[in-house]
Amino acid sequence: MRRLMLLGINHTTAPLEVREKISFSADQQRLALELFRQRFPDSECVLLSTCNRVEFYTARTLEGQPGVKEMADFLGEFHRLQPEQLKGHLYHKTERAVIEHLFSVACSLDSMVLGETQILGQVRSAYDSAHQLQATGPLLNPLFQRALAVGKQVMAETAIGEGRLSVASVAVDYARRIFDRFGDKTVLSIGAGKMSILALQHFKELVPKKLLVCNRDPAKAQALAQRFDGDPVPFETLYDHLVAADIVITSTGALQPIIVKHSFEAILKRRRYRPIFLIDIALPRDVEAAVGHLDNVYLCNLDDLQQVVASTQTTRHDAMDAAQKIVGDHVEEFIVHHRARELGPVIERLQRHYHEIARQELQRTMGKFPDMSDSERAHLEDLTRRIVNKILHEPIQAMRQRGHAGDIDESLFAPHPHPEQDERV
Amino acid sequence: MPEVSLLQLAVLGIAVALFAVATVAFIIRSRQGLARAERIGRACFWVGTLIVVGTLIWHSADRERWLPLGDNFSALVWLALLLALFIAYMQRTRPLVALNGFLLPIVVVLLIGAGIFGRLQPHQYVATAWTGVHLVTVYAGSAAFAVAAAGGLMYLLANRRLRNKSTMPSMNLGSLERLEHLTLYAVTVGFPLLTLGLITGLVLILSDPKNSLGARWFTSPKVLLAFCVWVIYGLVLHSPLNPSFRGRRAALLSVLGFVLMVGTLIAVQFMPSGAPH
Repeated sequence: MRRLMLLGINHTTAPLEVREKISFSADQQRLALELFRQRFPDSECVLLSTCNRVEFYTARTLEGQPGVKEMADFLGEFHRLQPEQLKGHLYHKTERAVIEHLFSVACSLDSMVLGETQILGQVRSAYDSAHQLQATGPLLNPLFQRALAVGKQVMAETAIGEGRLSVASVAVDYARRIFDRFGDKTVLSIGAGKMSILALQHFKELVPKKLLVCNRDPAKAQALAQRFDGDPVPFETLYDHLVAADIVITSTGALQPIIVKHSFEAILKRRRYRPIFLIDIALPRDVEAAVGHLDNVYLCNLDDLQQVVASTQTTRHDAMDAAQKIVGDHVEEFIVHHRARELGPVIERLQRHYHEIARQELQRTMGKFPDMSDSERAHLEDLTRRIVNKILHEPIQAMRQRGHAGDIDESLFAPHPHPEQDERV
Repeated sequence: MPEVSLLQLAVLGIAVALFAVATVAFIIRSRQGLARAERIGRACFWVGTLIVVGTLIWHSADRERWLPLGDNFSALVWLALLLALFIAYMQRTRPLVALNGFLLPIVVVLLIGAGIFGRLQPHQYVATAWTGVHLVTVYAGSAAFAVAAAGGLMYLLANRRLRNKSTMPSMNLGSLERLEHLTLYAVTVGFPLLTLGLITGLVLILSDPKNSLGARWFTSPKVLLAFCVWVIYGLVLHSPLNPSFRGRRAALLSVLGFVLMVGTLIAVQFMPSGAPH
């Protein structure tokens, strides 16, 4: 029997300043999984790290490690954070609550932007990474596969994603509130990730005078620039291009801000205080928050943009009900299915045990009748097998039924909500 | 010279009411996007404008003088009409509905001022060529600065909303870039007019050593305020050259300049004209 646990932090429990400290880049994610497996070799684990959440899903034996404290310590140690920095921001869930939460996450019911589709890909990517590192096992494999199926079904069968604004389209709206014309403007993209591509697709439609792509990897910059008819520019000359740019989309994987206030003040002077719109969609943030306080600088980070998007979701509440029903049905199905999987070996062991007892008793009895024919021997063997099966039939049926009723393995399928299952740490 | 008749004031009152309705309609239009509100606003605006033109012609016919600057009534009505014509021009070229909501209240205030000052305190000017140029340029400059102040105020509001990351703009104010251009354009038009107005005013004062402001005319609040307005708009005008003044600061200065300009106009009402009698 295995125990499901989740420790996480998300946009509802922690501001961007905290989330960016605990987020994982792709490399960090792999490293964290390896370290986690080294420290807790008997546990399964998947690490989901997005702009809005970092969640550690684990499955372990009933008495095994890690517990909530060990998981929180691991997170803190990995990012060199003091426990008090995370205090009040982390939440943990166990058993059924984990299943419900993961399914809700996968279909964006728990997202800041209801109906966003990116989260499904992020869940898939988190699962794939863990699977490749053999960090998943008999519980997390079916759980995540089911979560992905739920996410797909909700997106396909409900209107949850309809009429939704994207973060990039909101950024364009903001740009329109700053600039009147775009034919004389320069758009600079720093970073060449998925978010940059999405944003550039929208800004390209404004037909700017120039589109620049700046990346540490010149090949990536070249490829992205080519795709959007722009010009690649070297990362080393970033500050020169910030002087020329009017709209800057930044989405790098840098762990420290690449645009800081004291440098940007000098840039502003060189720009002759022309207005500049900085769209920081990176996590950790690329632009120091203080830059946004400068005159003629308009800074929007991911939270700012997502809040605007989230404000449009009131129209999709009917779709939410439908999505929640799908999630609820899948949670029940998964629990039933999983109980059956967990009961299988127990039943098999039980049957083997009783049949072995019967076989030994039969051998002893048959030893007292040396003249017994093969046919008689076969009849006796058949008799004992039927007796054992009939004796075990009722207990096994009862086990299966009780399993369905939810009290055969309280450690795994405790009823929800449970006061201790969803708590801030 | 005949005073403003009660009937003329009553007709002007209708225009004021129509402009007030138009203001509300344009504000509703820019907040809620109701096309019907805009239609109502436009209708009220055009009828109000025609009434103002009619009143001005009627009053000029009574006075038998067609330069509409001979007294407070005609001067303020003329100023209001200039603003209304600018709004009409904007509506036809590059509509900015929210601007109507900011400029029309100034039109309403000017018309109310014309009603009050024109009736109770007739203020007549000596008709010389210099006086004519002085009044035309000062009033036309004032109209331009009213536009600059409206643009500046809209800029400040739009800027604040952007900084507060307000989710949905409650009023479509237009882009900051457009508002900045509008402000700068209005100041570019208004500043030479004001400069000419000040120079001609100075000529009027200096040409008569017995002018009503006395020998220490340069300490007169009217002159000092007018000079302050000139300096402020000079700074705004030069914001492209001195970019640390651009954006929010230029917008603030435009609003401040207009407040001082209004102060100057009020000072003109309550102080000797400075023109030779």
